[in-house]
Amino acid sequence: MSLTFSLAHLMGGVILLAAFSLLSQRRLAAMITLYQVQALVLSAAAFWQGYAQGEVNLYLTGLITLIIKAIILPLSLREIVLRFNLMRAVETAMPVAVSMILGVALIGVAVLVVLPTTPGNVSLTREDLAIALSVVLLGLLMMTTRRGALAQIIGFLSTENGLVLAAIGMPGMPFVAEFSVALLVLLAFLVVGVFLFRIREHFDSLDLSGLEQIERRGR
Amino acid sequence: MNLALLPVVLAGLSVPFLGTLGTPQQGAVANAAVSLVVFLLTLLAFWGPGAGLLHADELGLVFGAVTGFAGFTTAVANIFYVRGAAVRLGVRRWRLYHVMCQIILGATLAGLYADNIGLLWAAMEAATIAATLAVSLPRTASALEAAWKYFILGGIGIALALFGTMLVYLAAQPALGPGLAAMSFAQLANAAPRMDGSLLTLAFVFLLFGYGTKAALAPLHGWLPDAYAEGPAPLTTSLSGLTLNVALLAILRFSHLLGANHASHGGAMAPGPFLILLGLVSIFLTGFSLSRRRDSRRFFGFSSIEHSGVAAFAFGIGGPVAIFGGLLHLLLHTLIKSALFQALIRAAALRGSTAPGHYAFSHLRGLAHTNKITALALGGCIFALTGLPPSGLFASEFIIVSQTIQREPLASLPLGLGLLICAVAILRNLGPLILAPAPHHAKPVKTARSTYLVLVHLALAFLLAFAMPPVLYGLLSAVAAGLS
Repeated sequence: MSLTFSLAHLMGGVILLAAFSLLSQRRLAAMITLYQVQALVLSAAAFWQGYAQGEVNLYLTGLITLIIKAIILPLSLREIVLRFNLMRAVETAMPVAVSMILGVALIGVAVLVVLPTTPGNVSLTREDLAIALSVVLLGLLMMTTRRGALAQIIGFLSTENGLVLAAIGMPGMPFVAEFSVALLVLLAFLVVGVFLFRIREHFDSLDLSGLEQIERRGR
Repeated sequence: MNLALLPVVLAGLSVPFLGTLGTPQQGAVANAAVSLVVFLLTLLAFWGPGAGLLHADELGLVFGAVTGFAGFTTAVANIFYVRGAAVRLGVRRWRLYHVMCQIILGATLAGLYADNIGLLWAAMEAATIAATLAVSLPRTASALEAAWKYFILGGIGIALALFGTMLVYLAAQPALGPGLAAMSFAQLANAAPRMDGSLLTLAFVFLLFGYGTKAALAPLHGWLPDAYAEGPAPLTTSLSGLTLNVALLAILRFSHLLGANHASHGGAMAPGPFLILLGLVSIFLTGFSLSRRRDSRRFFGFSSIEHSGVAAFAFGIGGPVAIFGGLLHLLLHTLIKSALFQALIRAAALRGSTAPGHYAFSHLRGLAHTNKITALALGGCIFALTGLPPSGLFASEFIIVSQTIQREPLASLPLGLGLLICAVAILRNLGPLILAPAPHHAKPVKTARSTYLVLVHLALAFLLAFAMPPVLYGLLSAVAAGLS
């Protein structure tokens, strides 16, 4: 059991680390790479949990994560970056240092909230849950501190990795594979949406500060 | 036999056909025909609520029937809408539009009938994606902005709701163990006292914010006015308003788990204060926002936020009577609001165009000079929204206010004040909209037959409020007693 334990923790830790570095990264290409690493480790974690819990469902989740999230999504994101020429740094709504401090605070909140509320559960689940909640919150923080559509999407992708991490840690939870597929549909629509709708045509350079237009016009 | 499955499956089955065949007008007629059958099937579902994942309880069945009805009348009004607006979008977009109509309808029903918290979440997600695509259909800059806002906020809501769903599963582990049982509403409700209370509280916070986003409760409402105002009218207003109910009922069911656990000292916090606070904030936010809106669809979008808030408030007060009031409020609001938007679209059509941007109050004013029946229908709907006496909402708001005075006297003052502010803001727009002199280019126009459906809605809302059939009364009060 101890190997299950330490390996699951290690992989959870790497995922959290990737989420944290996403927060500090300002170049889209590097953000996509970080996301890819996160998704790869997540699929490994899913396989490992599948092996530890003896669940075929989790192997399936790992496979889906590997193929779509670690390979196809990053490729298409890179394609968008190339095609729309978005190689330069992303604008942030607040200084990176501030958002990192906020990120640390959020991890603290996640740990402080989850650990005391789950004394009855297996400690693997507890700590996995704390890590997963941290990843979710960091992803949301990233979505609020970035201005560009693509950076927000990567934040959402990271949030979603946190959700899948929580799901695979739940003992014997049904529908884990279905959940991850359903989330993927949402993500696919996001990515395809940016690609097809060419938001760029309407808000030059995928900058979403144009969203305030609605407010100015007086709703 | 699982008859609850039929309407959901039928809506899904119609998708490939609506998506590939026919002109926009044919698509609209086919959409209305499918919606009619779905409506009849939702009635049939009472005789076979199903089992397993899609096991409708009485609450789901009643709301399912109202959803089916509103979906059908919306689809009928939609035929007239498409006839006038067919040139604005290409054939393929109209097909996509009708596909989205059926997906939203099917997902809403699936969410209402689901006994499984995972299925409920998936239905909510499907409805969100379909509604976002629908909002983006006009492809104007402002529609894309609105869709993007909806997608990001809705996506975050969906993510938080999934996290909450998983936490509920985890909280149910001590009572129900691994497997499907820990995801079934019926089993969870039975086992609520034995669930892990503190974990359940944490789960409820996530669920409240997740589904609260979809229910457009106050700090999370940002997407709704834009989505209502920018998308193709019937779909984004009448139809997607139905999904608000799914989210609110989900919140009600989860808060029942929390309440039951709290009542038996399982360690959970009471859900009441959360819901009361969010409800009051929503009502006040609406009260102050309403007076500044010039676009009527945005205006009535804000009014939906108010009524979501009233229902959440009622659920927070708790007790069988208040929950009955909240449920009645939701039913009546669904009927009135979907009728209102149908009438509004009709009114905009009378003034020349139903495209987004043609719904300003100044543009629609003096409707009685253009068409009396439409003016009467729209005026009736708007007046009904205020909750003043002959309106059905008066009955539900009366129940809620009187229960508040009994159970939480301190909260009754802000509630009354908020309702009053909203009613005044709505009334202020009513007179000019109907009776003021019309803009000089407007000419009298003949009545479209679909306008009479609006009056049917209003009559139904009146009947439900003041002469509810005893069967329905029995059903709803049993549901409310079970959930209190």
